[in-house]
Amino acid sequence: MNVLEISKLKVGETRSSRLDETPPKLSQAEKDALVQQYHPDYIKEAYGTIRVGMNKGEQTVHRVVSLLEGESPLASESIRLEAKQQVDVLIIGGGGAGSMAALAAKASGASVLMTTKLRLGDSNTVMAEGGMQVAVSPEDSPVRHFLDSLRGGQMANDKILLKTLVEEGPSVVKWLIDNGVMFDREEDGNLSLRPGGGSSKARLVRCKDYTGLELMRVLKDCVLNEQIEVLEYMPVLELLTDEAGGCSGAILKNLDTNQHFVVQAKTVIIATGGIGRLHIQGFPTSNHYGATGDGLPLSYRAGAKLTLQDTFQYHPTGAVFPEAMAGILVTEAIRSVGAHLLNVNGDRFIGEMETRDAVASAIIRECAEGRGVETPSGRKGVWLDMPLVDTLNGAGTLEDRFPNMVKQFSRYEIDITKEPVLIYPTLHYQNGGVEVDVDGESGVNNLFVAGEASGGLHGRNRLMGNSLLDIMVYGKRAGEAAAKRATSTEYKSITLQHLDRFHEAQKEAGVIPDTVSPILFPDYVNKS
Amino acid sequence: MNEVKITVDGATHAVPEGITVVQAMWHIGREMMHDVGCLGGACGACAISVRFPGRFDNQCYLACQTPVEHGMTIAFMPSDASKKEIAPLPRTEPAEQVLFQYYPETRRCVGCRSCSMVCPVGIDVMGGVRAAIAGLHQDVADRFTNCVMCGLCAAVCGAGIRPHRVGAYTRRLTGAFYEKEATQLLERINEIASGEYQDEWNTLLSSELSDAREEVLNECT
Repeated sequence: MNVLEISKLKVGETRSSRLDETPPKLSQAEKDALVQQYHPDYIKEAYGTIRVGMNKGEQTVHRVVSLLEGESPLASESIRLEAKQQVDVLIIGGGGAGSMAALAAKASGASVLMTTKLRLGDSNTVMAEGGMQVAVSPEDSPVRHFLDSLRGGQMANDKILLKTLVEEGPSVVKWLIDNGVMFDREEDGNLSLRPGGGSSKARLVRCKDYTGLELMRVLKDCVLNEQIEVLEYMPVLELLTDEAGGCSGAILKNLDTNQHFVVQAKTVIIATGGIGRLHIQGFPTSNHYGATGDGLPLSYRAGAKLTLQDTFQYHPTGAVFPEAMAGILVTEAIRSVGAHLLNVNGDRFIGEMETRDAVASAIIRECAEGRGVETPSGRKGVWLDMPLVDTLNGAGTLEDRFPNMVKQFSRYEIDITKEPVLIYPTLHYQNGGVEVDVDGESGVNNLFVAGEASGGLHGRNRLMGNSLLDIMVYGKRAGEAAAKRATSTEYKSITLQHLDRFHEAQKEAGVIPDTVSPILFPDYVNKS
Repeated sequence: MNEVKITVDGATHAVPEGITVVQAMWHIGREMMHDVGCLGGACGACAISVRFPGRFDNQCYLACQTPVEHGMTIAFMPSDASKKEIAPLPRTEPAEQVLFQYYPETRRCVGCRSCSMVCPVGIDVMGGVRAAIAGLHQDVADRFTNCVMCGLCAAVCGAGIRPHRVGAYTRRLTGAFYEKEATQLLERINEIASGEYQDEWNTLLSSELSDAREEVLNECT
């Protein structure tokens, strides 16, 4: 028997004796020390200094530095700046935030065009499993939701953005129900709530472990019903700006024909999502194929400022075995109903419901100090013991509440109702992003940003379930604000003056770009 | 590492055992764009039809969720490009027949079960269609919970039924006209609208939160 199998047996042996154990809750000082020693955000060598643009002199990971300092794809292509289409609101991105923004803008009376580099709905949203935080139970309150999120975010959250999020959460859930989202209910009709890491009350609403799929399916249906025009396989290569520096449109590229498509827009909403597919610090990722952070260089070159661009969320429990599943998420909700984390000796080493930054740091610590388990392909991980969920909540709970998880592992002949699985942190979320106001407007006039591409709301660590709420509340707000602006202004000139300024700044700072950005897709193709 | 042989577009390739079909495409040097989306089994972009040696039938899977197997012959299926019916939700409690107003062909099901055979996520699609015909909305809704809207079911239906659309619309009807109110949610919305938390916000936002770190943290625990 190999080390992995021996360790797995130990997990089985200690299962019953662990049932009544409660690991001590970390004090703030303990948590700070743990995170600062082991969290990837604190690995100094992984960071570099941004040399141009609004965040000049600030730090972020090397991969994002080169993205922000990158060369525009237009440098090697000649473009005729002649608008092929005019629209009030141009929305870049076809996930949850983009769809919500499109619906809100349309409802506010604006003409809307959506463009996305994959298909409508191909996004991180569609994969979200665990749920959406909303303070609805009588023991809970929006204020408590605010405080939990602030604590989770290491107190770095934008307070106004956060207050608006928690206060508008319940209304947006009502809107979703009215539009046919099937949240899990209790017998009495109330929303079924589950606890999330770092939350003092149960406040996750969900649809089994298909919450994102359910939301995206409904949003997509609404977008199609509203007959909103959607361009697919059409990423944006560069934004356009007017003489005063405001955003006035974008240059799209049809990936099937390689033709450019210039859109003149009164307002632009970036809803391009996160950066998982950049594999920061070599981490696997839970993100969708297109999560290459395109919105960051686009808005940065146009003159927007970023905030908290140095902090990323490594979700504690990404699968590491089988190799084909590396990076795939095992939802935090599974820990919230009792699954344990165990090292090679079958010992618990962290409270499973600490915030994600703390839990991820503790897993990294176990592996770094030789208490991890090595997989056949050389990855390291610790055990997530899920059979306990059925022991604690009754047989059939996993199958009933987490059907997707059971099915995903069963394809590799792993029965999570009977055996533990190996996990390690996986790159999950960009905590920071483009700095925005409460209407989602960036520092660039008429350029709005919604969802994961924006930053500030979540501080330095997002709580579980707050991103689905973010895309709904701020997708809607950005859509409404952009529509309002657009219906009271005229079309502006479309130029690339911002790009000329950016090139000047690059030259001045002696920056020689080492990448073309946005990069659009990760490069996984075997060239040999 | 052990290798298995798979066939794509007529050419046979050796690929490592244990990887997914999508990973195998990268391994054999294919750029992927149209046939890949979320990589998590939720978006329905990567539906494939697979044949195995010695078998006459086709199996359908999601390429990002399917490990390669020796002898597989793989074809990627095009995305559902059909125009969706403009099917808004009714404003008031729907009549049982509202579904057939938009999807009248649903009642033409001849029970051939082709739709269930091709579903890459294992839904008993025909069971869902029959339940829809019988007016059992909750049953339809439950069956289509994990539908990824790839539309393969519609592609093979001889009667022109669009089961994925029927499932999605019935789910929306079921969610929007759920028999019981989420009263706690409605109460909370009213509380917020009536300014019930205003005092708490005033206290909280007037103090310098960064200086009141411990106080805030204590409040949470």
